Amino acid sequence: PDCSRLILLSFPQCAGEENWVDSRTIYVGHREPPPGAEAYIPQRYPDNRIVSSKYTFWNFIPKNLFEQFRRVANFYFLIIFLVQLIIDTPTSPVTSGLPLFFVITVTAIKQGYEDWLRHKADNAMNQCPVHFIQHGKLVRKQSRKLRVGDIVMVKEDETFPCDLIFLSSNRGDGTCHVTTASLDGESSHKTHYAVQDTKGFHTEEDIGGLHATIESGASGSLETDFMPLGSENLLLRGATLKNTEKIFGVAIYTGMETKMALNYQSKSQKRSAVEKSMNAFLIVYLCILISKALINTVLKYVWQSEPFRDEPWYNQKTESERQRNLFLRAFTDFLAFMVLFNYIIPVSMYVTVEMQKFLGSYFITWDEDMFDEETGEGPLVNTSDLNEELGQVEYIFTDKTGTLTENNMEFKECCIEGHVYVPHVICNGQVLPESSGIDMIDSSPSVNGREREELFFRALCLCHTVQVKDNDSVDGPRKSPDGGTSCVYISSSPDEVALVEGVQRLGFTYLRLKDSYMELLNRENHVERYVHLALRWKRQVLCVLPQFIRARVERNAVEGLRTLCVAYKRLIQEEYEGICKLLQAAKVALQDREKKLAEAYEQIEKDLILLGATAVEDRLQEKAADTIEALQKAGIKVWVLTGDKMETAAATCYACKLFRRNTQLLELTTKRIEEQSLHDVLFELSKTVLRHSGSLTRDNFSGLSADMQDYGLIIDGAALSLIMKPREDGSSSNYRELFLEICRSCSAVLCCRMAPLQKAQIVKLIKFSKEHPITLAVGDGANDVSMILEAHVGIGVIGKEGRQAARNSDYAIPKFKHLKKMLLVHGHFYYIRISELVQYFFYKNVCFIFPQFLYQFFCGFSQQTLYDTAYLTLYNISFTSLPILLYSLMEQHIGIDVLKRDPTLYRDVAKNALLRWRVFIYWTLLGLFDALVFFFGAYFMFENTTVTSNGQIFGNWTFGTLVFTVMVFTVTLKLALDTHYWTWINHFVIWGSLLFYVVFSLLWGGVIWPFLNYQRMYYVFIQMLSSGPAWLAIVLLVTISLLPDVLKKVLCRQLWPTATERVQNGCAQPRDRDSEFTPLASLQSPGYQSTCPSAAWYSSRSQQVTLAAWKGKVSVEPPPALSGSRHHCSSSPSHSCPGSRVQLLV
Amino acid sequence: MTWSATARGAHQPDNTAFTQQRLPAWQPLLSASIALPLFFCAGLAFIGLGLGLYYSSNGIKELEYDYTGDSGTGNCSVCAAAGQGRAPPPPCSCAWYFSLPELFQGPVYLYYELTNFYQNNRRYSVSRDDAQLSGLPSALRHPVNECAPYQFSAAGLPIAPCGAIANSLFNDSFSLWHQRLPGGLYVEVPLDRSGIAWWTDYHVKFRNPPLVNGSLALAFQGTAPPPNWRRPVYELSPDPNNTGFINQDFVVWMRTAALPTFRKLYARIRQGNYSAGLPRGAYRVNITYNYPVRAFGGHKLLIFSSISWMGGKNPFLGIAYLVVGSLCILTGFVMLIVYIRYQDQDDDYEE
Repeated sequence: PDCSRLILLSFPQCAGEENWVDSRTIYVGHREPPPGAEAYIPQRYPDNRIVSSKYTFWNFIPKNLFEQFRRVANFYFLIIFLVQLIIDTPTSPVTSGLPLFFVITVTAIKQGYEDWLRHKADNAMNQCPVHFIQHGKLVRKQSRKLRVGDIVMVKEDETFPCDLIFLSSNRGDGTCHVTTASLDGESSHKTHYAVQDTKGFHTEEDIGGLHATIESGASGSLETDFMPLGSENLLLRGATLKNTEKIFGVAIYTGMETKMALNYQSKSQKRSAVEKSMNAFLIVYLCILISKALINTVLKYVWQSEPFRDEPWYNQKTESERQRNLFLRAFTDFLAFMVLFNYIIPVSMYVTVEMQKFLGSYFITWDEDMFDEETGEGPLVNTSDLNEELGQVEYIFTDKTGTLTENNMEFKECCIEGHVYVPHVICNGQVLPESSGIDMIDSSPSVNGREREELFFRALCLCHTVQVKDNDSVDGPRKSPDGGTSCVYISSSPDEVALVEGVQRLGFTYLRLKDSYMELLNRENHVERYVHLALRWKRQVLCVLPQFIRARVERNAVEGLRTLCVAYKRLIQEEYEGICKLLQAAKVALQDREKKLAEAYEQIEKDLILLGATAVEDRLQEKAADTIEALQKAGIKVWVLTGDKMETAAATCYACKLFRRNTQLLELTTKRIEEQSLHDVLFELSKTVLRHSGSLTRDNFSGLSADMQDYGLIIDGAALSLIMKPREDGSSSNYRELFLEICRSCSAVLCCRMAPLQKAQIVKLIKFSKEHPITLAVGDGANDVSMILEAHVGIGVIGKEGRQAARNSDYAIPKFKHLKKMLLVHGHFYYIRISELVQYFFYKNVCFIFPQFLYQFFCGFSQQTLYDTAYLTLYNISFTSLPILLYSLMEQHIGIDVLKRDPTLYRDVAKNALLRWRVFIYWTLLGLFDALVFFFGAYFMFENTTVTSNGQIFGNWTFGTLVFTVMVFTVTLKLALDTHYWTWINHFVIWGSLLFYVVFSLLWGGVIWPFLNYQRMYYVFIQMLSSGPAWLAIVLLVTISLLPDVLKKVLCRQLWPTATERVQNGCAQPRDRDSEFTPLASLQSPGYQSTCPSAAWYSSRSQQVTLAAWKGKVSVEPPPALSGSRHHCSSSPSHSCPGSRVQLLV
Repeated sequence: MTWSATARGAHQPDNTAFTQQRLPAWQPLLSASIALPLFFCAGLAFIGLGLGLYYSSNGIKELEYDYTGDSGTGNCSVCAAAGQGRAPPPPCSCAWYFSLPELFQGPVYLYYELTNFYQNNRRYSVSRDDAQLSGLPSALRHPVNECAPYQFSAAGLPIAPCGAIANSLFNDSFSLWHQRLPGGLYVEVPLDRSGIAWWTDYHVKFRNPPLVNGSLALAFQGTAPPPNWRRPVYELSPDPNNTGFINQDFVVWMRTAALPTFRKLYARIRQGNYSAGLPRGAYRVNITYNYPVRAFGGHKLLIFSSISWMGGKNPFLGIAYLVVGSLCILTGFVMLIVYIRYQDQDDDYEE
């Protein structure tokens, strides 16, 4: 073979992959270039080592510590700790050092363990053996030693060790099959092609002798003798070779430069609204803390201005203290006050919140209501940071295919030349009667017609990418319905499988692709063989259809079926070769490849002869309508974003009750914009909507009353891009605002003909609109990933189109219907729980620290602590930590069933209702009040008197202990008051932690602890308990502290009950809300299977306006002749029936 | 098929009440119908308790006398004036005369009270060495740094007991004399100076260092008394069980007070004829005036107080109970009105 071929490699330009393409020259097999070529500049490439780990053994401690202290909270605690170490502060460094150390250590251990696992995985990957060719011989080496330019041999079922250029395979045609299951979850086999010039090199010796150079990169010199390559020649690391014995390839990207490694880049961190509120509250508390410290420092120096106060005779300073600079002293005092009050921002809150989120997310994965028996899949939680965000969703953006519908295609009918064919349904083997009865299967078509018909079926049977699999080792196999053959069709497109299966039922069975021949079994049980010309593509084209077929396609689309038109063109040998050449030229073009390909297709796809149309049904997912209805009742706006055509999508929307019979549809489509200007359309629509909302009365807020007019908006991708496009005069936001205004008034929005990126754009538009609503995107396919990543919460449906969406999502659910429980129950609970957790934490620390602040006024601002060190340290760690943690895991303010039954309850927590500033201020004031009660209660108790019957006097530690005891009881009982769901666990932790406090105090004060250098707590607690008035005071002060909260609760429940409280009150007699609010339920037949109720209903309702509008959208061009010319294939991608695909039969 | 069955089993969540969040639970509601009786009951109970506390507090008698010696307030002003600006102030004594028209119901306790004295100042309250006070010989020689500037004497000897608290030990002393008949002789009323500190303090927490050759004085050899003290610690009392660190006056003083105005127990009167209380008649308290308080604007008071089960006179608890109890009842009524009126509305709404 010719050994000095030069190959130029250039990659297809994909959005977002610019960083992948660099310019490089690779000498295959490390052979020197032939003399005369340009100077050989050895390039350095990384070896094939994959490093996904973050740390090494040596840098773990510094790097991890650095990362941890980059968090503001940790850094704050570190500073406090250091201040305590450096200056003389009232509390020992242990009180803040111990919790911080604990948190840091636990986090470090967790991260270290995760990194160790990554190291292990990396090592396993880097050390697995790889075969490659050296000097014409097969050598085994470790994967990490692979270099760019090495020639690699991969056997069947092996994974590619790096990104390879496919040189040759043992198959004669130079193809191989690959599955990318581990990359994107798609289990279907994809065919890749060897480089044309090298596909003949079958043996090691041949390959070893190959002289070739690969140039890659956008800046590559455009030498004509370079052989261009495309993505079909590229085998990606991580994919697996299938159905091919072995292949040879040359490594072009290794190690961290492979596409897989580049995709490791982590997703951006999403933060929940609760977290944002929490940070805002933290800042408030930080301000409170600083102002407290400042006030005390200033007061201290004012108070001390009299020397007998600063230094009375009984309390002299040391010489060095006297010498110290005044400002330095003041600053130290300020820091000391900061340290004294720093507990107001507790370390433990972060730990508790993290633990609550982590542990709480298990309840989602455990939930058996969300477990799908069929697929054996349960919900997945990919991040636990967003649990509570599920309770805050205001907008849901949902994909249609595979999310609302099952993506389980069924061939419904085909229409050939005015005859409608319905394939046998397997279950009964009978022809289903046509509902409208236009045409039954024609028993005696003309000879010409029969020819056409057979051509049509053959076309369907041959033009696809379906593969036949004999065993069912791939997931999602679809058994051939025909009992005789045990073959299974697999394809990445469920439509194609449905078509092939449908045609099978009509008599033509696709058998296999064998040696470039496609075999099929025709009606007479003869096997026909066709040459397989690797010339296939899918395109969405518009064409103009004959009257009958058009009507039929339209009708089917309205019914929510997916339609496809089939046309053909007869080619003679020369024409075929011409086409091949044209396509090849376009495919290898280095610039504007996409555009050139499009042009080539345009040129080929003219003068097609229409054969007929097919209709494939995609059934609605189980309970999709019910779910959407519930979500809408919960005040969530549901938007459907789909790539489908408008009619199909709208029909689905009707079927799933997104649009109701009284929904007035507003259209914002290209068609309309062409008639009027965008400006006019937008203003007209907004006028309609605003007029309506002006007359909207308040009691219609629920949106449930039947006579209320609600609007649905339909917009298509082209119109959207017009709106989004910044105008020349720069006033881009104008249209956007108007559009958002319209959207806000619509209960449902349907966006059809959306590109994946546009989906994300829409989400972004809403996300950053002025109310900053919480958005949720749900989808199942790779085309939904962008919006899943963009939305506040991304939910993947574990669907048929691979697991890409589930993988990139925050949560994955098996079915769309599980969204209901996810949001209405879990989301609601998590939100209630975490908001209580956050508020309660701040509350209990106000209670904790404010008495300390007050005490400064009575101890000469000397930073004397009120509580003992042990109490200071343990208050947040053990005395009050478990009850709130368990509360935040277990609380159910209302039953699960009630929440599911009554979605309107979701509105009670909408808009971060429990973390508004008003609520926060209430909690803070409650904390302040309680703190005042604790402190002054104890103050008046101790003032000038003795409280024991033996006349002995208590000291300052008893005073502090009394305050502390009252406080621990109050904050724990406050939580008990808030608990609505008392399981044995709640009882255990609430009473248990009170008991623990008492037992601890008895022990702490009951023994002389040898390791302490002070014994100030000795017998303090016991002495306090021996005093009757102390008991009475505890009871009294706890009661006073709780009284306002009880009063507020009772009065609010009585006077201004929220919906939740109403339901709680009336829980004994549950009302039948469902029937009350769903007048439509009875109109709908339960399923959406044989006949399409929504369509029937849709057309039979007297919404003439809407219907007319619909009619107006459909093509009104004159009925064309079949011998179409270029005129009939319009180039604008939005005319007539843009969803149809034309398949070219050659 | 078996493979998929096991896979399903592995993925299937455990169907327990806990994982499904369906643990049996008590679901109380704080509704008006529950809160109303609660408020009334609590209100009544509190008022009852409050009345009891109030009367029991009112039954306690207190007699106090400010002997600081501000000019024109009795004969202690002489001592106060004499001590002005002199450190240490010279020994001085004065007296307080009072008469009881009726029996001062016992048992009677004698307290002294200081005002404006910040025992809770942090620099002051940390200035002690608990290890030294627990009798540890090493700590006796090496007091902790917190004791500075009362850590070492000018001669460099370790101070025992070290620290500001010990140094500022209250050193006024009192004796009570009773004149049964007008013009008669004053008879000394026995003051019981024991049992004024916590039992655990002077039996466990405070210990003298081990005796050297049976002598406490030798045990303290090599240490200096606090600068303000006139006597070393081992001579605080002639009673060997009440001297040194376990001297009860000292122990009482070492329990620092919570607030700048504080009382400390000086003695109990419970012996002989006085166990039932102080009979009527004229009394004299002889005061040894040593302790300077005017320098920091403080006052010294002497208090006779009787004690009940709830301790000394403290009307706060009783009044607070009464107020809270009445508040409970009041809010109970308000809520009752709201409840009844709202209930009607609610019924209308339901219809």
